[in-house]
Amino acid sequence: MSFRKKLLLLFAATVLLCVAVISASVYSTIRRSFERADQDRANAVAAQFRSEFQRRGQEVARKVESVAAGETVQRIALDMNRGAADSGDHVSEARALAGQQQLDFLELVDSRATILSSAQWEAKFGYPEAAVPAAAGTAGAFLKREELPQGATLGLFAVRVARVGEQPLYVIGGERLDQGFLSTLDIPTGTRVLLYQNLDAKWNPKSLLDLNGPAAGVDKIAPLVAKVRDTLQESQGVIRWTSDSADAEVFHAIPLTGPVFNSPNQNSVNQSAPNLNSANQNLTNQSTANQQLLGVLLVGSSRRPLIELQRQVVSTAMLVGGVGILVAVLTSLWFAARVTRPVVSLAEAARRVAAGDLATKVEVESSDELGELAASFNRMTEDLVQQKDRTLQAERVAAWRELARRLAHELKNPLFPLQVTVENLMRAKQKSPEMFEEVFHEGTATLLAEIDNLKTIIGRFSEFSKMPQPQRQPTQVNEVVRSVLRVFHAQLRGNDNDKEKNQISVRTELAEALPEISADPDLLHRALQNLVLNAIDAMPHGGALTIRTATLGDRIEISVSDTGSGLTPEECGRLFTPYYTTKQHGTGLGLAIVQSVVSDHGGKISVASTKEKGTTFRIELPYDFSAFSASLR
Amino acid sequence: MRRTAYRFLAAISLLVVAANSATAATRPHYGGTLRVMLQSAPNALDIPANAPPPDYWDIARTLSLIGDTLVTLDAQGRPQPALAAAWQSDPSARHWQFTLRRGVKFHDGSLASPAAVAPILDALHPGWNVRASADSISIESETATPSLLAELALPRNLLLKRNGSGLPIGTGPFQVAEWQPAKLLKLAANEESWAGRPFVDAVEIEFGKSLRDQAIALELDKADIIETASQAANGAQRKGTSSALSLPVELLALVFSPNSRAQDPRLREALALAIDRKPIQSVLLKGAGEPAASILPNWMTGYSAVFSAQANPQRARALLADSRPPALNLSYDPRDPQAQLIADRIALNAREVGITVQVSLSGAEDIRLLRVVLPSPDPTTSLTEAARQLGLPQPAFPVTPRGNPLDGRSLDGRSLDDLYQAERSALDGYSIIPLFHLPVASAASARVCGWAPDQDRLGEWNEAGHSLADVWLVESRAGLQANSLPQAGSR
Repeated sequence: MSFRKKLLLLFAATVLLCVAVISASVYSTIRRSFERADQDRANAVAAQFRSEFQRRGQEVARKVESVAAGETVQRIALDMNRGAADSGDHVSEARALAGQQQLDFLELVDSRATILSSAQWEAKFGYPEAAVPAAAGTAGAFLKREELPQGATLGLFAVRVARVGEQPLYVIGGERLDQGFLSTLDIPTGTRVLLYQNLDAKWNPKSLLDLNGPAAGVDKIAPLVAKVRDTLQESQGVIRWTSDSADAEVFHAIPLTGPVFNSPNQNSVNQSAPNLNSANQNLTNQSTANQQLLGVLLVGSSRRPLIELQRQVVSTAMLVGGVGILVAVLTSLWFAARVTRPVVSLAEAARRVAAGDLATKVEVESSDELGELAASFNRMTEDLVQQKDRTLQAERVAAWRELARRLAHELKNPLFPLQVTVENLMRAKQKSPEMFEEVFHEGTATLLAEIDNLKTIIGRFSEFSKMPQPQRQPTQVNEVVRSVLRVFHAQLRGNDNDKEKNQISVRTELAEALPEISADPDLLHRALQNLVLNAIDAMPHGGALTIRTATLGDRIEISVSDTGSGLTPEECGRLFTPYYTTKQHGTGLGLAIVQSVVSDHGGKISVASTKEKGTTFRIELPYDFSAFSASLR
Repeated sequence: MRRTAYRFLAAISLLVVAANSATAATRPHYGGTLRVMLQSAPNALDIPANAPPPDYWDIARTLSLIGDTLVTLDAQGRPQPALAAAWQSDPSARHWQFTLRRGVKFHDGSLASPAAVAPILDALHPGWNVRASADSISIESETATPSLLAELALPRNLLLKRNGSGLPIGTGPFQVAEWQPAKLLKLAANEESWAGRPFVDAVEIEFGKSLRDQAIALELDKADIIETASQAANGAQRKGTSSALSLPVELLALVFSPNSRAQDPRLREALALAIDRKPIQSVLLKGAGEPAASILPNWMTGYSAVFSAQANPQRARALLADSRPPALNLSYDPRDPQAQLIADRIALNAREVGITVQVSLSGAEDIRLLRVVLPSPDPTTSLTEAARQLGLPQPAFPVTPRGNPLDGRSLDGRSLDDLYQAERSALDGYSIIPLFHLPVASAASARVCGWAPDQDRLGEWNEAGHSLADVWLVESRAGLQANSLPQAGSR
């Protein structure tokens, strides 16, 4: 991955991270705020319910008190105490009294806790009323389950006593706790109140009331109600009505309890039966002793505003994030371009330098570290160029010195006999004129021989300096190898006298189907011939000569290996220098010629050697020199 | 001295006059209009076949003022002569002969001769062969009719003609003077009534008045005779008016509909055992009537105690222990002021044993709270009539020729055992659950005299010895006026 892409990703990631962190914090803050607000709303509704509950209870108590103190009840109580009461006369009294006081429930109960008259169920005369006299001492109102012909319901009741004589007459009256009660509550927008009348042993959806009566489709509230039924504690839960989380509601469930009334005969209920304050406490945590769950108040707050706001935050965050990323991408593209341009230039320059163009310069555009780096690079390349020049010059000087040395060495040998011969002739002329002709013939022969030797030496040098350009043609390298080996066949077999000791074994590992290459077969023959000759010279006591050919992708490889004495690393480094030789006699041009041929064919030559083990020369030649030469251009 | 004596004599005279005036006021005398109020609102002066009790009694009482039957029955079920002076039948009870009173005229002046009466009877009973002779009517039937007299005494056998307007013309003490259907009927005294001219000159009957309106009218002295609920009869007495409770001549019962969901006899029996009749009678009925487990009241049969009316909720629960009874709908007559409360109480009793009964006037009914009329003191006749009204099969009596042991209970000579078996058979399977035998109640203002509120009454207005034709009216104490003395030929 390029530096520019890394920078781009880094900028984008930074922007994304910032946006995500900010969005998450905003999201969390909003949710907490909404939860607090939701809790506050629920508490407010619950407080309002408690207040209304208390007010209604007081009102019920007042109405019942009014009934108990009224003339009708007093008369009935008087008749009872006189023994003149005919229960049949009073069957319908309670209904009339209830109508006057606008009470939903009213019962007149005698001292034996037997109903004399019931407004809500006239036929219930003669049946026992469990709430009396247990709740008679209650000052306030309490919740009670009331059985009606059409089923049970909940009511807020109060009990008063009309004491006329020894036998009291109890008046128990109340109002329904149903949707009508809920409608009196001032419910904030986005909130709703449900009342579950716990009248059945199991969950009954018809007992869940809203402002319009039984609420529909509310089975999902059942687990929350069940939890309150089990624990008698306030509870809270999120109800998801649909798959859309915005339709969810948070419900606070508040238990509504009422006293447990035993049969009137036992009268074992606590005489300090819960008054309204206790009923008020029933709305919160309270001991379950003598209390039963009669209802559950459910205050629901819609999560839609929160969800929609969260969605808005998320969408805004995504929008901002997207825009931010886009801006980051554009910015980073520009910034990375600005930052990485000098780096890219440096990298390109370094590639060119590596390719050999030491004259590469990098433009210095800034004075920062990158500018310093560019300047340093330029200085480095300049140094490299200078050093290369110096090296070349040194090499040239060394090569010239070597050449001069070799020339001196080569020329000195034939020149010495020339000098000696001329001196012999002069001496002979001077001192032995009679032998001068003989000496003259010998001397001139020697002179001619040495002059030929000189001419040969000069010819080699001239030949090296005038190496011809390759004449390319499709060439089968394996054939060239075979032709080279034929040339050295006799030499490789060795003398008859020391056949066994000095014989060099030849092994060829020529690749089958070696492709033809574009090469000059003669020059190639000459190069291989030089390598074979060197290998033979390296194995004066015999050994193994191995020639291999192989394909290497778009190149072929020719390797010539011997098992001679090997070369040192220093010798390997100077092998291809013209006029460098390790032989006693040699021009030092053989490997230079090989390198020149290989270089002219676009290939490369390398040497690997181990002292006392042997040496291997590897030549790599491209199939098509024209492609290679084009790449150089 | 003389002044003192004269003053004494004057005071004595005044006292005598006052005493005479008071006495005169309480003696029967003619005149006045008797104002009656009734609940029903009939569109025709006719007794519908399945008239509910209030309507039945109202129409029957009204028509009994206009017409006569051949015979009547007293509270002991003994036939009494009415239009027929005498009667006899053959041993097979298939041929009866009735000798009519002579000189009796219809309100239109025509003689109530056998020739005039026979067609009326024939029209009422096409299955009979009614023939008239000079002074008698013979009735022949293909089957024995030992209870013919009880049948003839029923109000549906009043001998009434119809005029061109369809109004009834009879031989009774009153004749139709004005008729406003469902609203008002004015009757004028029949000057030539064979039983003697009634004391009152007219009877005005207002129809369609609720019991409450009737009670108010009585209190406000705007009505002289009203209907009351049986439990209110005592109250009326306390308020200074007089009330009358008849013998229990109605049956209040639960009747199961043919398609009732309570087909299981155990369920029905459990319901019967769950009902506690005593509180209903004592509280809702104010002690009126008597708990019943039989169709016929004890005063008719004497054996009703054999049928137990005791509640037994434990047994009821045991019967339902292995079943889940369906919820049942109980309907009632909304015109009956007591019916709803009684139905509610029954539902409550049923609930105690695990039977859900919903009292409703809408929807398919499983049970009906029904009142049926026991129109005759003759138990066989009442049983037959009750079975018809209750939708039960007609009681199957064995053919009992006359001469079998009689116990005087049944006019047709059937034994009590036959009657009991027939009644028991009708109650088998709990097709009905008898609840109470109830009286009919009336109340009269202080203005009405000669209307005896004793117990031996069958709730009719033409009972032998107890008839509206025999009442007279007095003014109130505040406006006491001299009334004319009874004329010659008075009752």
